Amino acid sequence: MGKKRKVTVITGFLGSGKTTLLTHLLKGPSLKNTAVLVNEFGKVGLDHHLLRRIDERTLLLGGGCLCCSVREDLVNALRELLDNDHRGDIEPLERIVIETSGLADPAPILFTVLTDSVLQHHLTVDQVIVTVDAVNGQFHLDRQNESVKQVAAADKIIITKTDMASENEVELLASRLLTINPSAEIIKSIHGNIDNHQLFAPNEKVKSTPLISLVESNSFQGKHAPAARSISLTFDQPLDWSAFGLWLSMLLHARGEEILRVKGMIDVGEDGPVMLNGVQHIIHPPEHLDEWSDEDKRSHIVFIMRSIDPEQILSSLHAFQNILGSRASIREPVEVL
Amino acid sequence: MCVLCNGSVLQVHWTDRKTKNLSQSTMQKAGETQRSRMRERHIRIRQSNKILSVYGLKLSDWTGSKYILTDKKGRTEIVQDLGVLWTIVEKLLGTPIDPLDPKLMNELLPESTRIGEEDKWEKNEK
Repeated sequence: MGKKRKVTVITGFLGSGKTTLLTHLLKGPSLKNTAVLVNEFGKVGLDHHLLRRIDERTLLLGGGCLCCSVREDLVNALRELLDNDHRGDIEPLERIVIETSGLADPAPILFTVLTDSVLQHHLTVDQVIVTVDAVNGQFHLDRQNESVKQVAAADKIIITKTDMASENEVELLASRLLTINPSAEIIKSIHGNIDNHQLFAPNEKVKSTPLISLVESNSFQGKHAPAARSISLTFDQPLDWSAFGLWLSMLLHARGEEILRVKGMIDVGEDGPVMLNGVQHIIHPPEHLDEWSDEDKRSHIVFIMRSIDPEQILSSLHAFQNILGSRASIREPVEVL
Repeated sequence: MCVLCNGSVLQVHWTDRKTKNLSQSTMQKAGETQRSRMRERHIRIRQSNKILSVYGLKLSDWTGSKYILTDKKGRTEIVQDLGVLWTIVEKLLGTPIDPLDPKLMNELLPESTRIGEEDKWEKNEK
């Protein structure tokens, strides 16, 4: 069996420039072996030979919360694409881009791809790209919970319409986005003008750049009521994988809806780290890397949550310290732009 | 699908994906990771019991593929993986569990650093 096909999710609030970004992407030659699933054919003429439309139909599993729901429409569309691919009706697929509607929560999409009995063996979620409008972004973050959720789930955030806002505004927005989601990579763009390679390159931020700490996150409280808060932690010793899994699965079981995002590199005492990536209840299959990319070989984990005090996470980890075999501490504060 | 116990395993829980490339490769040599797998199961059971003992529950191995959760009244439940463990714990307890619960956190701390231990002694003396 060949390699799994990559799934990229593009989301963003209403009118934040998803379609513009997509239109620009489709013009480039790099999307040759890519299928695109869009939510609605807008007025903008999207032209691509593998363009499909999906209606957002959500199937809520019995007893599940909203993030653990299956997008039935998506399952059908993706299975059909796979069918065509296997039969050789279309060019071999390498990537599938899913554009969501502006109010969609990305979590059910990830849940669908990662748990469907067929899809999980053929597809892997590559990354979640979120567009944020430079002009109205702040307003959306204040008023719309969906917008905060989208930002928290992002691997990459594209700030669009940067030509229409002042430089100062853009910087303010960028630092606010980083406060909500310190693990995301931020790219600024005008008219969806973005290098395709940069867009689809993996985000390696958790390991390369220092993250903002709790201190930074709290400094925003005066200005906005914090819809989401983040904490980034480091551990002094290698973590015991099965103990950490025990703790995290317990935390996600009890507080999954409030934990918007978990992302990190974990030292489990092997040659390379384990990449951990989770949105709400859904944890991506952990990826094992062969080696560390730099000298700093400590485990780093970022938690993004709402209505939980970051201090609680830390004291819970301290209480479980005996089992985990490693002590957690907050990463030293780092200056943000 | 497990051919021995006829149980169909549709989903490998993320906590069981420690071994590298388990999900990517379709080829598996028989018994290749068996020894370390059993060892890790026992470590996990011991760790789980540290937490579960606070609630008066006990986890044990069952046929090397599943777990059995028992409470002190002798009620038992079969547990497939960590994904359902906590749901079943709540079912047996009848109350929700939470790792951020200060009571639980206090119980897990080493005895010397526990809060409220001294108060207990004082009350007993009176």
